[in-house]
Amino acid sequence: MSGSINSTHVPGQTKLLSEFYHLDEFRSLEGYKKHGGYQTLAKALKMQPQQIIDEVKASGLRGRGGAGFPTGTKWSFLPKNDEPRYLLCNADEGEPGTFKDRLMMERAPHQLIEGMIMSAFAIGSKKSYIYVRGEYHVPIRILLAAIDEAKKAGYLGKNILGSGFDHEMDVYSGAGAYICGEETGMISSLEGAKGQPKLKPPFPAVQGYLRKPTIVNNVETLAAVIPILRDGAAAYRKFGTEKSAGTKLFSISGHVVAGGNFEVPLAYPLKDLIQMAGGLRPGRQLKAVIPGGSSAPVLNAEESMRATLDYECLAQMGTMLGSGAVIVLDDTTCMVEALANLTHFYHHESCGQCTPCREGTGWLDKIVHSILSGRGRLQDIDLLVKVADNMKGRTICALSDAAALPVISFVTKFRDEFEFYVREGRSKVKGVAYAEMHH
Amino acid sequence: MPKCTINGVELDVKEGTTIIEAMKSKDQAIAHYCWHPGLSVAGVCRLCMVEIEGNPRLQIACNTVVTEGMKVNNTSEKVKDAAKWGLDFHLINHPLDCPICDQAGECGLQDQYMEFGKYNPEMAEKKVKKHKVVDLGPTVVLDSERCILCSRCVRFTDEVTKTGELGIFNRGDHAEIGTHDGKALDNKYSLNTVDICPVGALTSKDFRFRQRVWYLKDAETICNGCSTGCNVKAYFNKEGFYRVKPRFNAEVNGHWMCDEGRDIYKFVNREARWLKAKRRTTQGWEELAPGAAAKEAATVVKGGGESVALVLTGQYTLEEYEAIVRNFVADVGTKNVFHWINNPEQFEQFDGLLLRGDRNPNTKGLLQVLQKHGISAPWKDLSEGLKSKKIKTVVVAGPENQVWFPDMKDKVKELSAAENLIWMQTGKNAELEALTGNVWLIPMKSFVEKDGTFVNYKGLAQTFKKVTSVVSEALSLADAAQLLTGQNLLLRAEASTFVEAQKPADRVTVETRKKNEFVFRRGSL
Repeated sequence: MSGSINSTHVPGQTKLLSEFYHLDEFRSLEGYKKHGGYQTLAKALKMQPQQIIDEVKASGLRGRGGAGFPTGTKWSFLPKNDEPRYLLCNADEGEPGTFKDRLMMERAPHQLIEGMIMSAFAIGSKKSYIYVRGEYHVPIRILLAAIDEAKKAGYLGKNILGSGFDHEMDVYSGAGAYICGEETGMISSLEGAKGQPKLKPPFPAVQGYLRKPTIVNNVETLAAVIPILRDGAAAYRKFGTEKSAGTKLFSISGHVVAGGNFEVPLAYPLKDLIQMAGGLRPGRQLKAVIPGGSSAPVLNAEESMRATLDYECLAQMGTMLGSGAVIVLDDTTCMVEALANLTHFYHHESCGQCTPCREGTGWLDKIVHSILSGRGRLQDIDLLVKVADNMKGRTICALSDAAALPVISFVTKFRDEFEFYVREGRSKVKGVAYAEMHH
Repeated sequence: MPKCTINGVELDVKEGTTIIEAMKSKDQAIAHYCWHPGLSVAGVCRLCMVEIEGNPRLQIACNTVVTEGMKVNNTSEKVKDAAKWGLDFHLINHPLDCPICDQAGECGLQDQYMEFGKYNPEMAEKKVKKHKVVDLGPTVVLDSERCILCSRCVRFTDEVTKTGELGIFNRGDHAEIGTHDGKALDNKYSLNTVDICPVGALTSKDFRFRQRVWYLKDAETICNGCSTGCNVKAYFNKEGFYRVKPRFNAEVNGHWMCDEGRDIYKFVNREARWLKAKRRTTQGWEELAPGAAAKEAATVVKGGGESVALVLTGQYTLEEYEAIVRNFVADVGTKNVFHWINNPEQFEQFDGLLLRGDRNPNTKGLLQVLQKHGISAPWKDLSEGLKSKKIKTVVVAGPENQVWFPDMKDKVKELSAAENLIWMQTGKNAELEALTGNVWLIPMKSFVEKDGTFVNYKGLAQTFKKVTSVVSEALSLADAAQLLTGQNLLLRAEASTFVEAQKPADRVTVETRKKNEFVFRRGSL
């Protein structure tokens, strides 16, 4: 299954996590153990929790879900002595273009479970949940079976491997809302409430799930704890750069010959990653790349050629690494239509709590669609940027920014296409209007 | 005690105070919709943006706690622009139907538009269509298109009444307020949601379409609906009273009042009132001026001694009780003063929030006066006195809010056994008007037509001023006390000394009513 997104056979990768993803047996407990599984857990349970936190801090591991917050630092925000505390694994993976967590859960459920038990031990949590997006039926089934196996083998439950540490793990299925990938939205949803982000402060580390200290980490982040503890922080740091340490799975999709997930060290050149995915289709030219999921500002072709996949370089280029979802757009793409796709998504997914986002996402979407339907005004192009500018940083969570940033980057970098559409009522790239095409 | 500077003003605040609270305490203007001092912080309207020195991003004042040395302003161009855009986002899907909207004139959107707006709208797209005229329950109607989803009403039903009828349904710009399946917004405090709604989304079935708010004046007074004594504002014009809203008093009612208390204005208006006194003659009822009627009735009261009985309800002011009890004891020579308890079995009840079973604003005040004069006559003395004909004349200070006197009929029947019945009250009553015999019916002033003091259930004396006149000839109980004992209407200086002495240190004095200006602003609620 999932052959198309499992591209681990492609050479040139650095496989700290995905080394055995191509083996079907790696999905079972037995197969996982055969390839070294749960050995790191045994090692970790003999360490002091603080030692683990220090090791993770030293490794420079940053959250792989999108925000890139240093994981060890996040763990050390937990207040001392406040029990119970929870570990939540964010497997909601809703960011358009991202499909790495699905691969990890499908091909190596025990890897996630092992990583979670170690992390839970480090932060002193006796209960953890994996919040999986509702559409991921298969990963949910696989995870549930794997948790069962792990329980039977004594990796979960009371007194794990004789260490005296108890831990229970559960899977919770989301219901298809993008906003539940935001950590406090996820906590609301897990609590049984409407999936809406909560005001911060208090931050989840202080008051999270059920108002108790809670750590929320992405699937890949938790799995990455294994190589860090197995080989040590220094070994992990050999990959990537000072501020972007280690390896990362990139989901590459769009106009490439063979998209999929590829594990490479951070600071890997973007153009090489595109080559790894088989390059562009014959006769096509690169037009743009969205480097970190749909909410990351778009890079034009020239920028894409220079970009390396790390936090610093992409931040410098005014975009972000995000969840590592690389969406490649070639010269057949009409940027107005592409943007309409994104604004529609964010309009649909805004939770509606904060006014700028609730109203702004709809407004942006309607303006772009007005342009597409030939009713656009030249002033609409500036208005898009103005509206987006005023949605940025004005809301409880980052969805508003996620909706605004692509708009600003699309309009400023490909302004000619928008102006052409407004003037001529048709796409500069395709030569016809959206309405004619979708007749 | 962190020290901070807000708009150049230095202030000390308590630990944990948010910026918006600090600003409110100094009467500094800050735009906001979702924040309400009586509710939890939602932080969703994003209008209360402030600039904090050292922070590149604007922050919301409602969820930012003041820290030592913090320098805050909300007057910079950056903040003003943010507020302007915040308002614009609220308005793009708003129907702008102010001409037919009940909230017009006291609307948060209108207020802020005058403050930050006055621009040409840039929104050229179709607005979102939502439900209109949604019947939420017996008291409230919802217009979802006007709603700005501040969630104040939802938080009110969750946190204050804990009935949880309301919720926000759907997502994004299709989100709407609604009631949960099979539920109606039906609780004793439901109309508070209308008060806290900053726009015209929730309107009161009772008030909507009856009067434009700019044709109303408002005056501060005390609710006479129960012994809690909620601080309220009454809205009126020369045609009468239209509505009552709560006024903040931390010690008494906080920000809220009950729905039943909002009905008190109905007993005040002319249609419910006796406009003239009536005197029963052989030809039937004869109308005469209230003062003349009282003077005439004095012939059966003055010098009547122990044959005269006075029946008092807990609906009058402390000053009135003192005047009439003293005159009856001194000038009439009777200690037959009886306390009419309207619903004894519910008297001690309390709903846990505001509404008390004792539906009289001044039972405590009445008891204080009776005690001072050493009067403790039980009701059965009156019943026996009427049976044995020892009591010949009964003077009644009847209820203002008759609906809360379930025993009204019985009492009329019982007391009409007296040879002479002088019944004083504000409102019409069919049983009284059907009586035969020697009867005087004398119209009294309602609580909004006189100065006075109510002592609430916990002994807090709250003084209030006259709001306006509705029935100008009506008498106060103090006037009646003078006239019934054959004296002229002169102010007796001693009358107030007792009241002064009774005033507790923490008494609350209500401001005199504001003149013909409309100062009520939603933002300041």
